[in-house]
Amino acid sequence: MPRYGFVIDLKRCYGCYSCQVTCKAANHTPKGIDWARCVPAETGTYPTALRQMLPLVCQQCREPACKEVCPTGATSQDENGIVLVDKNLCMGCKACIMACPYGARQTAEKWQTYFPDADGGLDPYEAYAKKEWEKTHGYGMATKCDYCKDRVSEGRLPACVESCPAKARHFGDLDDPESEISILIRREYGFQLNPEFGTDPACFYLPPR
Amino acid sequence: MQLKAQSKWGWLIASYLFLAGLGGGAYVTGVVADFVGGDWAALAKIGVALGFPCVLVGSVFLIADLGTPANFWRAFMRPGTSWVARGTIIISIFMVIGFLHIALWLWPFGVLEEGSGVRHVIGVVGAVFAFGTMIYTGLLLGANRPIAFWSTALVPVLFLVSALSTGTMAVILISALGGEGHSGPVSTLARVDIVLLVLEAIVIVMYLQATHRVPESRAAARLVLSGSVAPLFWLGVAAFGLAVPLVLELLSAYALDGSGAAVVAALAAVSGLAGGWCLRQVVLSGGVQAPLRAGRFEFALPNV
Repeated sequence: MPRYGFVIDLKRCYGCYSCQVTCKAANHTPKGIDWARCVPAETGTYPTALRQMLPLVCQQCREPACKEVCPTGATSQDENGIVLVDKNLCMGCKACIMACPYGARQTAEKWQTYFPDADGGLDPYEAYAKKEWEKTHGYGMATKCDYCKDRVSEGRLPACVESCPAKARHFGDLDDPESEISILIRREYGFQLNPEFGTDPACFYLPPR
Repeated sequence: MQLKAQSKWGWLIASYLFLAGLGGGAYVTGVVADFVGGDWAALAKIGVALGFPCVLVGSVFLIADLGTPANFWRAFMRPGTSWVARGTIIISIFMVIGFLHIALWLWPFGVLEEGSGVRHVIGVVGAVFAFGTMIYTGLLLGANRPIAFWSTALVPVLFLVSALSTGTMAVILISALGGEGHSGPVSTLARVDIVLLVLEAIVIVMYLQATHRVPESRAAARLVLSGSVAPLFWLGVAAFGLAVPLVLELLSAYALDGSGAAVVAALAAVSGLAGGWCLRQVVLSGGVQAPLRAGRFEFALPNV
């Protein structure tokens, strides 16, 4: 079984937020829930200041901090290393949100509209998204990125990888030494975020400039 | 880079932490008083009577904080997994024992009144789970490694000392309201609480002292000592939680007697109990998550 992983090239990312928006469109996430997102940071002082974007997804850790603190057994790992939440088992205690070093888990309290019309109703697209969200997830329980499990099982790429115009995102099998991502990690000094937490993420980053 | 504190665990959880500590502390005070016996009998009953109801109300706050409260019973299903699950079992056993202790001794049945043997056995077993209730919440917070302000061995100690102190003060308050405030045992209890308050102050200093090695704990210390949480810390914890009850209890135990001592002890207890709640809220509000690092950059997580 493959262990799915990401390589995100920080040199190539220019912070267009395509991943964040595509993820919302593909997964019908409510307002305030961003499974894929871009976080900016700056360093140095003028005239040598630099700005860098950090695209985040769930790191699908081999040793997930969220699974360690889950009291109900709602969190599990599938055979591809993807960390999943069973919406029927989760009671919404938020322990996993506190434990995750990468901010990957979020809960929606209720559906909030992005585009309120005069009488507070939803437009057809949002109404569809709300219906889909309530079918697959719901409110109160922890939700997270699953590397677009359903798309991948159909042989497609995760939505954020497909849409990245900078070609900064790569998806593949970490267990295969000849896969594109394994070669990139070896040749271009791929690293994991905050290894001090001992989570062993499946998402690798290539160093910024 | 501006590191922000977590906002997901708020006043509901602070109230639970406070009430669970208070209930456990009062119960232990009651059991110890029952062992002493004699004119401590009234205090023993007050302490034991406070244990179960306080933890029960605390659990209601805990369930109210859940995203899907109807699913709360699932916390019982996997006791081995985590501190939330283990804690659920611990507080449940404590509540069962505390309830039986009340039901069989105080109301509606008085079967434990005769002969103290069985009562003491129940008390000791209950006290073990009361200590568990007071301590496990600190271990639960400590399991969150990205939050350096929680991930220290001193949080359980701090919660334990504060729980014993607030439990003692709750017993003092109820006995003062019941007109027992100027009895010898209450004055002795106030002296015990003076020691606990001094101990709590030392633990708080050690706690803040030990957490300034990494950016997130520096940010947490700044937030608590001079940032947006500072008023709650300096007024709520330092003034109302420590200084005011310390001075009033010293007055009540050593300078005053009669009904004056009772009123002052009751005021000390009210102030100290408010401080106990503030302490839990301060610890929760200081929960700053570690930044993510890539090269020279440090990224603060938004809306955690």
